[in-house]
Amino acid sequence: MVTTVISESSNGSLHPVSAQIVGAAASLGEAITVVCPGGFGSSEAAQISGVAKVISVEGECFENYDCLAWSKALSPLVDGDLILSSSSAIGRELIASIAAAKGIPVVQDVTGLTSGFLATRSIFSGKAIEEVSISAPCAISLRANSFESAGSGGSAEITTIDVSQEVSVAVKQALAKASERLDVSEADIIISGGRGMGDPANFSHLNEIADLLGAAVGASRAAVDTWDDIPHSMQVGQTGKTVTPNLYIAVGISGAIQHLAGMRSSKFILAINKDPEAPIFGVADYGIVSTWEDALPSLKEHLTELLSN
Amino acid sequence: MGVAVLLKQVPDTTSKISISSGRVDESSVTKWSISPYDEYALENAIKLKEGGYGDVVAITCGPPRASKCLTEAAAVGADRLIHIVTDSSLDSIQIQSILSAAVKESECEIVMCGKQAADTNSGSTGPGLSSSLGYSFVGAATRVSMEGGAVSATRLGPSGPEEVEVRVPCVFTFDKGDSELRRPNVRGIMMAKKKQIDTLTPEDLGVDASISKVIIESHSSPPEKQPGQKFVGSESVPEVVNKLREEANVI
Amino acid sequence: MAYEALDFYDIDSLLTEEERMVRDMVRDWVEERVLPNIEDACRDGVFPDEWRAEIGEMGILGAPLKGYGCPGLSYIAYGLICQELERGDSGVRSFASVQGSLAMYPIWDFGSEDQKEKYLPGMAKGDLVGCFGLTEPDYGSNPGDMITRAEDKGDHFLLNGAKMWITNGTIADLAVVWAKLDGDIRGFIVEKDDEGFSAPEMKGKHSLKASVTSELVFQDCKIPKDRLLPGVRGLRGPFSCLNNARYGISWGAVGAAQSCFNSAREYALSRIQFGHPIASFQLVQNKLSWMLREITKGQLLAYHIGKKKDDGSWIPEQISLAKMNNVDMALEIARMSRDIHGANGILDEYPVMRHMANLESVKTYEGTHDIHNLILGRHITGIQSFTREP
Repeated sequence: MVTTVISESSNGSLHPVSAQIVGAAASLGEAITVVCPGGFGSSEAAQISGVAKVISVEGECFENYDCLAWSKALSPLVDGDLILSSSSAIGRELIASIAAAKGIPVVQDVTGLTSGFLATRSIFSGKAIEEVSISAPCAISLRANSFESAGSGGSAEITTIDVSQEVSVAVKQALAKASERLDVSEADIIISGGRGMGDPANFSHLNEIADLLGAAVGASRAAVDTWDDIPHSMQVGQTGKTVTPNLYIAVGISGAIQHLAGMRSSKFILAINKDPEAPIFGVADYGIVSTWEDALPSLKEHLTELLSN
Repeated sequence: MGVAVLLKQVPDTTSKISISSGRVDESSVTKWSISPYDEYALENAIKLKEGGYGDVVAITCGPPRASKCLTEAAAVGADRLIHIVTDSSLDSIQIQSILSAAVKESECEIVMCGKQAADTNSGSTGPGLSSSLGYSFVGAATRVSMEGGAVSATRLGPSGPEEVEVRVPCVFTFDKGDSELRRPNVRGIMMAKKKQIDTLTPEDLGVDASISKVIIESHSSPPEKQPGQKFVGSESVPEVVNKLREEANVI
Repeated sequence: MAYEALDFYDIDSLLTEEERMVRDMVRDWVEERVLPNIEDACRDGVFPDEWRAEIGEMGILGAPLKGYGCPGLSYIAYGLICQELERGDSGVRSFASVQGSLAMYPIWDFGSEDQKEKYLPGMAKGDLVGCFGLTEPDYGSNPGDMITRAEDKGDHFLLNGAKMWITNGTIADLAVVWAKLDGDIRGFIVEKDDEGFSAPEMKGKHSLKASVTSELVFQDCKIPKDRLLPGVRGLRGPFSCLNNARYGISWGAVGAAQSCFNSAREYALSRIQFGHPIASFQLVQNKLSWMLREITKGQLLAYHIGKKKDDGSWIPEQISLAKMNNVDMALEIARMSRDIHGANGILDEYPVMRHMANLESVKTYEGTHDIHNLILGRHITGIQSFTREP
């Protein structure tokens, strides 16, 4: 029984999540083929332990992302009782398109998988967990960092297949990323500053970390009221915005009840405050008692290191 | 000509989700709404209609209560309303077969829906339909426009936002964009009240809703949050960063 | 958590789908446009012109009136509109009440065909703003003795006098003014550019700050003959208008009370004192339970009088009961809610003191609490006790 993994690439090389997907497949004891759209990362894929075969699919249609074209090119080459991909935006679209072409069901963003197949995933934006049983053949996309990565040391055979697939989506031009930062109400990660930042200019430290994480920058009411430079649109709290990000980082915010009302439903809360008795520590999952001057440079350094790996 | 908009009714995203007897308890849901990303699809569809493209056909597949979505869509400008009524829990093949049959019946060459529904958070329907209908696909679009027969869109591509040109027929899935969602008004609400809803069953469209290849075994609440961990001094930052990745999986 | 309007006896199940959709449309608008901006509007003492335009676009002005571009909704729908607007702010609901019940309604019921065609369509859209001139500096609860008078000068009327406490006055394009013509109270449409008419704003209010309150001053104000409302004489004219507005207010007060209850409940669940949320303390539960009781009773009163308005079987005293009861309970709930919020309740982080201050006005206008009391007293006994006259 074969499992096909559709690999994920990033800037032309193999994305680390691909090794995690191979790891998940390997724990099910399947013979694993990795299919590389556009050929990106195929030689790295061949070195993942447990991979039997790599199919590098190449052609002009892979110059830009066209889901239907890619799916038409890949579907005939993708086989097996189980097809896996990452649950990135493109990973999901592609596997859903391929699954429909093959007439097999697809389940997305799975965090746990055992043979059978029994899959676990979160639904309602994480408010509930779902367990489903899926009949083979089927397609499943896996969430990053949920499965143990397969090691290296493999030496799979790479087969190159050239395809010429008509493209129906043409990229006219790349648009400059919006210069304004993400709005707090839309972000998965928010870093907020309070009056403890001392000066609105110090929010630049928060901006730097936000840039690293692709986060939005928020503020407490105290900061908004005290400083003209901190606009009301950044305010999180009773009379500001209510937010439910995956991660809320509160820096120099005491945690008054009005602020908590706006962010207490965040999935995870990291608080940095020099006052060990600050009420924010009562709701924080991780609390660091430190001045922001000491903590933020270290945070920036270690986040940069982690994210570059 | 015409735009088919696929709408899914979900518990309002601000609702508390409660579990009882291993299943999400629907009776405790106080407000049902159109899935938020689908609202952006509807807004863009109506904009195309206002540009002269054709009628907007709003389609939903779900239990009887889902017809409310269609009336809400009519109140802001949807012309034709199709409700495929089913109480069954459907897998991706079933739902896509139903919706593609409905789209074919509507003869619409442009299909729009949200990039993912607020309940399953999956995002399979759009790309799956593109494949089964053989329609082009553009995902995570924030704007679609038509100029002299050519369709262009702004979408989030692999390296950032980009402007694309698309061959029709096409499926677009939508992300939240800059477009403000239009509000209904009393006139729209009163006209919507009078609008006929075409009601079908999955069987009418040749789909057996009874046998699913994906069976829900159980629902449960997310694990209780661990008690908060407190660290003293900035030396703890590396350890906390590690925990954010390993324990919390948020970065 | 999203706003959950208390509906303990499930009034929602009694509504038609259209009524629910209208309610939800207004609720969403208040959520998106009023709540984020109301504290600033209050602080600055302005009624933002965008709100006038957006309320007009929603098509909810003059809700129960039929024809001439008016919505033609049920009285229940009108009530729901007032409920949702006032959950936002009584000043916002006052704008709509005055426009619909006090300015559009008299033209619709007592005006000539020409007057209806001329004013109603623009007023329904919110393009023309109206106000209602009855109350005077020295004649509030006793409008019958008003001294604003009109003289027939052959080819025009000459108006002299002054009106006070007039919502929308300064921003109004027209005013429906009640004045004595040969001793008879008649209605006149005064337009803002009429000679001898001015509408200065009254400043320094601690209540209804996001609403425009004005004086109307008539100094040899010349108005054309075709501005007289032909269809009514005497106090029946203004009182018919007031009955409609009062009906809307009985629902509006429920909205304000729901807002205060919601805030108190959420606050009580989050505020920890002595190691427990204050919602776990008996005295707090007692207060919340009282609020639930009163809101539920108020909703049932409002709903039932709404049904009677829709089938025509109502009498004005029934409206007096609903207005009086609901505003009374709403004001008490606002105070109690402020108490539950502790010191935080005095901040504009929470809506409670704003509602509390507003409701003082709502308790006073459209017939004071005491006047409605006496209306009911007269109904019960057959004996009027407003004045010392026999």
